[in-house]
Amino acid sequence: MKRILLASAVAAACAAGPLHSETCLSPYIKGLRAPEKVMYLWTLPVGEGPDYLSVIDVNVASPTYGKILKKVEVGSKGNEAHHMGYTDDRAKIWAASLNSNRFFIFEVGADPMNPKLVRTIDDVAKVTGLSGPHTPYAIPGRILVSMASGPDGTGPGGVAEFTNDGDFIASYKTNDHPYETVIKPEFNRMITSSWVSQKTFMSPLDKWDPKDLSNTIDVWDLKERKIIQTLKGDPVPLAARWALKANSTYGYTISNGGDALWQFRMNKDGKFTYRKAAELGKGCAPGDLRQSPDDKYLYVSCLGRGEVQAWDITTPDKPRLHDTVQGMVQANMMHVTFDGQRLYLTNSAISSIDYTPRYALRLIYNGPDGRMKLDPIFTADFTQAPNGPARPHDMLLN
Amino acid sequence: MRRSVALALTLALSIAASAHEKDDRAAAKSLAISARPHLNVIAPAPGFALRDSGGALVRLSDLRGKVVVVAFIYTSCTTVCPILGQQMASLQKRVNDDPLLRGRVMLLSVTVDPARDDAAVLASYAAKLGADPATWKFLRDSPEALTPVLGAYHEWTRTMPDGDLDHPARVYLIDADGQIREIYSLAFFDPRQALIDIRSLAK
Repeated sequence: MKRILLASAVAAACAAGPLHSETCLSPYIKGLRAPEKVMYLWTLPVGEGPDYLSVIDVNVASPTYGKILKKVEVGSKGNEAHHMGYTDDRAKIWAASLNSNRFFIFEVGADPMNPKLVRTIDDVAKVTGLSGPHTPYAIPGRILVSMASGPDGTGPGGVAEFTNDGDFIASYKTNDHPYETVIKPEFNRMITSSWVSQKTFMSPLDKWDPKDLSNTIDVWDLKERKIIQTLKGDPVPLAARWALKANSTYGYTISNGGDALWQFRMNKDGKFTYRKAAELGKGCAPGDLRQSPDDKYLYVSCLGRGEVQAWDITTPDKPRLHDTVQGMVQANMMHVTFDGQRLYLTNSAISSIDYTPRYALRLIYNGPDGRMKLDPIFTADFTQAPNGPARPHDMLLN
Repeated sequence: MRRSVALALTLALSIAASAHEKDDRAAAKSLAISARPHLNVIAPAPGFALRDSGGALVRLSDLRGKVVVVAFIYTSCTTVCPILGQQMASLQKRVNDDPLLRGRVMLLSVTVDPARDDAAVLASYAAKLGADPATWKFLRDSPEALTPVLGAYHEWTRTMPDGDLDHPARVYLIDADGQIREIYSLAFFDPRQALIDIRSLAK
């Protein structure tokens, strides 16, 4: 009997498939298997000056722990530094600029503490026929980027594909304004979430045209690069995450406009359903969605309330609010470490809609019971950033 | 009694969960393979000339007209490489069993660890996997010859504390004109999909 149980356990372990990279990254990315030593934070100045990659010491054993060690400027301003992504081999970082349609490629493989800007792609709208690049997402040897709109900043967008080195391969149009791309390789399925066009998101919030808000997620056959199903939900389904366990058929999005957590699920016939799974509370205006490596918890940042929520999803169809932590106005981007024990948090959204000047990077500890605790000491204060106040947005660890 | 109820409940939940997972796996199996792959031209495949385990020089340019699969491996790898070896063996069988593909496809496994993978080690590894040299060759060379090739394919290596090698886990699919048309992750490589992709390029 013992032998049978052991054999089953081994089979289950094998069937579980390869270990994932950090929970919020593409599963194709080589994983970080040790505590992080350095953070790269894509940063834009509040005033004049070029956008830059902040290099932050996150090695707890270091005397400069929590300090901004250096900044790597990109040589141009007004880019609207926003999201980043590793290439599959973790050797390069692609940093996208929402406003200027540029990509900045940093080499970090050879010397992780000293990122080097190795290529700038200036004419992305012209090359791809798309604008408003949002999230670079790794597939083997290549990068997919969700692009919000057509080349002039209006109308539907699509997904652009490049080599890791920055050479354009192809574009694929959508009928909405793509925000993020997430892939489940086991199923050959990709989900793109959506938001608004570039012209809209670069305008003050009171100028946003409600008619421009997308409320769809697209399901793609990845190998065919083809949309096979479009699902409607509440407005602006920003971040999307598949459950991490191999062969899991479900995942979640956050609706910024609907203050809600939505669940997508693939049925036995391969068709997807999409349903509201939980109310996040009026005024939450969720900004980001992350997850624990064991698929037990989802983390939701509330841009509108300065709060991070932990949702228990051990019963995936019935998420349950497990814990909240306050103390960070305009809580937005998050990054969960490989072991799930730490969650880094920044609080700039877009320069056009930010409502606080108190920009910072903070750290939350996730306990084994799923309870969160804001570190009272760890703070990288971006109001005191080198060369003046700056807006911190997306983060990567190494 | 309480313990029995708890045990029964746990067992019931576990059976329910396992049934659900079985459904998930079935769904995955039916969707994982795409019959109509969209194989963009990604980039020209960097050329190379490397020795096979018998010492003969294999030039990529001499393989024009064939669909080529290039995998980067090392024989002492204990993580994904052994699984990939079995999958490449499965792919070799599917190619050799197909009269339309046999002789029109070449599989190449290139070691990233030439210091440990000498010709004899590679030959033994190939024999264990049942490699048919007409379809599947194992390549190595001196570090001077191999290093630029690995560099051209962005195949860096890093020695881990336990002596294992870390390297980008990729398999390249190259068409008859020498263009890279697909890059697979070793972790998610599926010989069934690779065969469909090869057939699509061999048309």
